[in-house]
Order: sequence, then structure tokens, then C-alpha cells
Amino acid sequence: MTVTAREAIDHGAQATRPEAAVEAFLYREARLADEARYSEWEALWDDDGVYWVPMGPDDDPHVNLSYIYDNRRRIKSRIAQLNSGVRHSQTPPSVMRRTLANLEVLDRTSDDRGTTVTVGANFALYEYRYDMNIWAGRVVYAVRIRADGELRLVAKTVHLVNAGGPVPTLAFLV
Amino acid sequence: MTELDTRPAPARTDVDDLVRPDRVSGAVYTDPEVFELEMQRIFREGWVYVGHESEVPEPGDYVTRRIGREPVILVRSKDGEVRVLANRCSHRGNRLCNAEKGNSSTFRCPYHGWTFTNAGDLVGVPMRQGYAERFLAVREELGLAPAPRMDSYGGFVFASLTAEGISLREHLGSATGAIDRLLALSPTGTLDLRAGWMKHRMRCNWKMVMENNVDGYHALFTHQSVYDAVRPAKVSHVPTKVEVYVRDLGDGHSEIDYAAEYTRLDDEFVWFGRAPREKLPKYVAAMEEAHGPEATHKAFVVGPPHTLIFPNLFLAEMNIMTVEPLGPGETIAYTTPALIPGQDEMNERMLRRTEGAMGPAGFLIADDGEIGMRNQFGLAAREPEWIQLSRGIETDIEDETGIVNHDKSAETPQRGWWKHWSSVLNGRAPGAVSGSTGEERA
Repeated sequence: MTVTAREAIDHGAQATRPEAAVEAFLYREARLADEARYSEWEALWDDDGVYWVPMGPDDDPHVNLSYIYDNRRRIKSRIAQLNSGVRHSQTPPSVMRRTLANLEVLDRTSDDRGTTVTVGANFALYEYRYDMNIWAGRVVYAVRIRADGELRLVAKTVHLVNAGGPVPTLAFLV
Repeated sequence: MTELDTRPAPARTDVDDLVRPDRVSGAVYTDPEVFELEMQRIFREGWVYVGHESEVPEPGDYVTRRIGREPVILVRSKDGEVRVLANRCSHRGNRLCNAEKGNSSTFRCPYHGWTFTNAGDLVGVPMRQGYAERFLAVREELGLAPAPRMDSYGGFVFASLTAEGISLREHLGSATGAIDRLLALSPTGTLDLRAGWMKHRMRCNWKMVMENNVDGYHALFTHQSVYDAVRPAKVSHVPTKVEVYVRDLGDGHSEIDYAAEYTRLDDEFVWFGRAPREKLPKYVAAMEEAHGPEATHKAFVVGPPHTLIFPNLFLAEMNIMTVEPLGPGETIAYTTPALIPGQDEMNERMLRRTEGAMGPAGFLIADDGEIGMRNQFGLAAREPEWIQLSRGIETDIEDETGIVNHDKSAETPQRGWWKHWSSVLNGRAPGAVSGSTGEERA
């Protein structure tokens, strides 16, 4: 599922806060990304996950180029590369801390795999590598609450404030 | 985006002290005077890639770019002609067009309302009764300044900010073959460069970004993480096992050429993740209808070029890369896939492949950017003065295609780049505008 930044804003009119378990899951995702705990981060994803960083708020990934548009297989490759120890652009990894704020449930759907909660949030990310870089934007998550009670990430879309570029290296988990 | 001041004329007038046949001084990447000389001799006097005709398909379509540090508008005017116009109001110099792209019949300056057609003619001067007769007499000459030279090849638009000089065909020399090789993969013989440009800010010199693209030596090390953890290289890096060549095409252009190896294998799409024909039925059918089965098979085997066109265009197989130099240690690299008009199934794969390899998060280019930055850091140490580029110099062979080396890791392309670069900066390249009086040194 992909929700553009604008759609996310519109949906937010009647939004509620996510339930505690979903909120905790998202904070855990943020912490694992910050701490370069790559394999633990990868384990958060369901097998149909899509990690997307578009170049424009209204872009269609089937028509427009994105910075990142990883299906589950490519997420696996990205993590394998980061884990190799010779991904030079993340060797050593960026030191990072991010905050999520303004969490709102934008959508809630159910199917035979469980209930998927779409959550929109704003984020600020402080990345240090040689110099401090500050990244900010809108992040839209789809979290599946599976029938077995486990939570998994189905989609993470990151609308960077500076998506229009130019952007410095984005080799870390944004 | 940072706007840089135009500095006074460069103090440096040649680079004789910086370039030898087998090495260059580290100062070629760091010296601000070298950068100023490049802005003049390469980016004002020479041919520079600006954009692609497919980016402005309809009258009124425009994109804004820079040639060196100078803002220009690439526009298809009402008469259907593609023009390159200075993005500067003729009244007080305001940057006229501030969007990256769009469609407009006129450009109206927000400062005092002067209005120009999309062909650059001045058609509106508010409150014109306030001007004297002698202004009205010269009004017709106050259009937007067109690039003094503009030409295109295969849809790729180039311009020069100086009126005199060699033709674009002379500048491109045998590099036209690389553009032809790319266009041979399109059933219509055209490309579509409208997927969007990744703009990657790299903290290194623009020449590092360009030359690295034809460095066949770095891949096993810079990109070890891809080969170790993701997938092996598409063909072996061991020269005795493969028919891969590096080539100095002359005129500063160079390439890594996989054509002979792919032809030896006679496998289609080795360059496209070895995608089988069955995955691309519409594209295969359109190609066979346009070119016939034999030429289609050959195009699918030989694949796209991996060719650097001096100074700022890299045909990165199915990607197009160009650079905008911001200063000696800062560059923006622009990348977009070379989409094939009407071939959606092919194009979506191409988007995913471009994202995988290229740009700030790409599995390859993110690491090239990092290495470029560390190179710039390292060059802050002034000794030893010289950078070594002699690899393969004794096994280079000259033939009708240029100077060729059978070892992909030979630094033949870089030697070609620097030879041409120094002749341009010294004002000794064919058609040079501002010749140097310095004597040629060995």
C-alpha cells in the first residue's frame, strides 16, 4: 500500500492515535534503524513489505524514479550489503537518533493475513558522519497485526522534506 | 541551491605543470584556480551537455539547468524549436524562471514584470511610457540571451556559451557511436528521459565523479560489498578470462566496452540482469518489428554503452548521468534512466535497476560518492604530489577505434581524459578560443 504525503494529510482530519502496541513497534523500528541493528530491523518486515523513499510527494513509483523502492527481496539485499562490513558509505555506520511525532492512524483494513494499520508521523533524524546532517519529513507506515498476534512492517514510505534534492548520501536506514 | 559568484578572470592560464602522460598532480582536483580555468575553457568555451529533447516534448515545455555555473532554460518554443536561453532577465538580471520544469508560453520576471516569449523575445515592459526614446529603439535587442551555439545528436542537446569553435560533431568524434548503440535498443530510435533526476550531492571534484565511471580497476574493492553480499559481477574481472576492453576514444571520450565479451557469450540481456525474453514480450516484439530479428538479437547481446562523453555526460548503460560542478570539492551528480518510449514493462524494470545501482542510496554509487569524498580528504595532504595513472600504459594498443587495452583495469580511459583535459585547459584543443602561449612540455 502506498499513501502519498498529501493523501496522508487529508486522511488525518479524523485521525486517532495508534494503539500502544503499534506505537511501541514503530519506536522499536526507529531505534533499530538508528543503532544500525540491521538484521533485527530486517526481521520487522513481512514478506510483502515495500520500503519507499520517493523524490516527490505525488510521485508514482511505477512511472517516476525514487531514491529507494525496495521490495522484500531488495530489502534483504540492502541489509546483506550493510552487514558485509565493506559498505563504505556506512563504514563506520552513521551515528543517528530520530524522533517520531504527531502519530495518527490514517487507515485500518483487514484481510486474511490480519489487520493493517496505516500510521502517519513526522520525523526528525540527526545523522552524524564527518558532519551533522539533519533529515526531516513525513513517514507513513503500514503495520500488520497478524492473526498470530505478531506485528510486522508491510510498508514504510519516507517523504523527505528535501526530496527535491540535491541530497547527500542516503546509504543508512532512513 | 547555492548560487556562486563569478570570480575575476583566472590567474592560471595553463596546466602544464600538473599533467604528465602517466600521472597528474593532486592539484587538478583541489586548486581553485584550476577550477576557474575549467569554468572558462571547458564550461564556457566548449560543448557541454544540457538536456534531452524528450524532456521538452511539447511547445512551451521547459527545464532549467546550469552550464557550469550559469543558469539556462532549455525550452521548446512556440515554433517547435528547442532553444537554450540564459535564465536571466535582461532588465536587472533576476533569475527569470525558478521552477525546475513546466510549460509556459511566456516568462514574466517577478521583479518588474518584464515579459519574454518562450523563444526569448521581449514582449512586455510595464509602464513603458517611463522609458526614453532611445530605450524603445533598442528594445528588440533585449531578448533573453540564447546560447551562442546549440546542437543535438540523437536527442542529446549540447550548448556552448562561446560563439566560435568546432562543431558538435567534431566535439563528439567517435563518441557518436556510443549514442547510436544506446538508441539501437529503442524500437523508435528515441529515448524518454522524464522519470525524474536523482540529484546526489557529492563532496568531491566533478572530474572524480566522471572519471570513476570508466575506472575498471576500482569495482572489486569499492563495490566489494555488492559482489560479496548481493550478487557476483556480471562478467569476470580477470582479464585473461574475458573479452572486456577499455578504450580512449579520443577527444576526452572513453569507455569500458563489454561488447566483445557479450558477443562471445552470445547471450541476450547479460547487461539487464539476464532477463529472459519471455519477461519482455512487448519490447521484444516492438524491437523485432522495427529492426528485424537479426539486428534485434545483436542489440540485445551487445547491450548499451558504458561511455564517458567529455566533459559532463556519462552513458551509464541504461542510465544517463551528468554533473554540475559547484566548486573544487563539491559536485551534484544527476542520474535518470534512459526509458524507452512506450515500453512500460521494460521501463518499470529500468526504474528499479536505476534505484538499485545509482544515486544517493544506490548499491553502487553511494559508495563511489563516499570514496570520492575520502579522495578529496586525502588530497588535502600535499605530498606526494602526483597521482599514478600508468596502469596498462605498456600494453595499450592503438587501432582504428582509439587507444585500447585488453585489461579492463588499465587506466587507459583516464589517460585519455587527462590528455584532452590538459589540451583544453591549455587552449590547445582543436578550435580553442583562448590559446595559451606556454610551450608544450613532455
